[in-house]
Amino acid sequence: MLKTVSLTLLSLAMAIGLGGGSVWYALNAQDGVGAIRIGQWTAFPEIGTEGSDPYSKARVAREGVLALGRAEGLSFVAERDEAGQPLKRECAYSIEGGYPTARFWTLYAADQSLGVIDTGKARQAALQSYEVLRRPDNSVVISVGDRPAPGNWLLTAGFGKMYFVLTFYDTPIASSTGLSDVALPRILKAGCHA
Amino acid sequence: MRSLLHALVLGLLGAGIVHIAVLFLVPEFSERDAWSRLAMASHLYKMTRLDAEAGGAPVVKSVDPMFYAAACRFNLADGLVRIRAPGDVPFWSASVYDRSGHNIYSFNDHNANSEKLDAVVLTPAQMIDVRRDLPEDLQGAIFVEAPIEEGIFVVRAFVPDDSWKPIVSRFLEQSACELQEY
Repeated sequence: MLKTVSLTLLSLAMAIGLGGGSVWYALNAQDGVGAIRIGQWTAFPEIGTEGSDPYSKARVAREGVLALGRAEGLSFVAERDEAGQPLKRECAYSIEGGYPTARFWTLYAADQSLGVIDTGKARQAALQSYEVLRRPDNSVVISVGDRPAPGNWLLTAGFGKMYFVLTFYDTPIASSTGLSDVALPRILKAGCHA
Repeated sequence: MRSLLHALVLGLLGAGIVHIAVLFLVPEFSERDAWSRLAMASHLYKMTRLDAEAGGAPVVKSVDPMFYAAACRFNLADGLVRIRAPGDVPFWSASVYDRSGHNIYSFNDHNANSEKLDAVVLTPAQMIDVRRDLPEDLQGAIFVEAPIEEGIFVVRAFVPDDSWKPIVSRFLEQSACELQEY
């Protein structure tokens, strides 16, 4: 009798624990169904549309996201540098390369919840394409770190995990056919504070 | 031993079922979705700032720090809703979302007839009524046909640098979201 009860309880605990836990894990993972990866950058072009998968729908409902529409823009998130190491706020990075066609783009350093990180200064941890300096071949080199840098400087501060969010506005790549041959800038680590 | 294995297999099977059930129930029962958050912040047909600039934590997350945004909730069962805002900002875009936060329609300032934002959201049935006799002052508006009742309209505006902040703030503050008689 006791054996049957305990086995039933084990089954129930497994079902509820694993079932609930796996949903929680799947919703928190940055990757997931419907993701498009270009280099280190990940985008969810389908998120927030009626045709998105159940995981995206659950994520939208749980986080209260109002995703950008196709005519508005498309966001890419990076959580690792070119060497595959997680991005850290205490490290300096260099973001180099060209950008696909768009009216303009914005780039910001984000925390776990993808909100912009608080630098504690008047300067935001964000840049946009109208204010960056370009090289003769139209590519852009952006220095990321807490020390001022010549050229384009994206200020960061603090310690812990960091994400880069790159959003293109009014862009043809937001329609999925345009995503096949898009090149995005590379993220190179320049060094870290001990 | 066999009964333990039996229990483990049942448990895994149950985990699969619970996983699917929870996944589909999350959108139904979420109290943290965009609609609920907006409902806590303001009434229907009231433009509400979404960014943190207006004071307090941002109402709805994942707004670009270089953007200001405002949203209003509407219910098409009451009638059609008209959203207007004066022009003069570098870039604005607008989206219509349904009750569960799915993007139904979006457009930006290049799609508009003039720089001004002037849009009417209505159901296909209301569209037929309006087409029959288009009021004079709706001539230049963008008509968004949405097969929904409750929904959210979001306007986002680009803030290239600090000097644009007051101008873009004014753009959003002067935006109006009103129930339209027809």
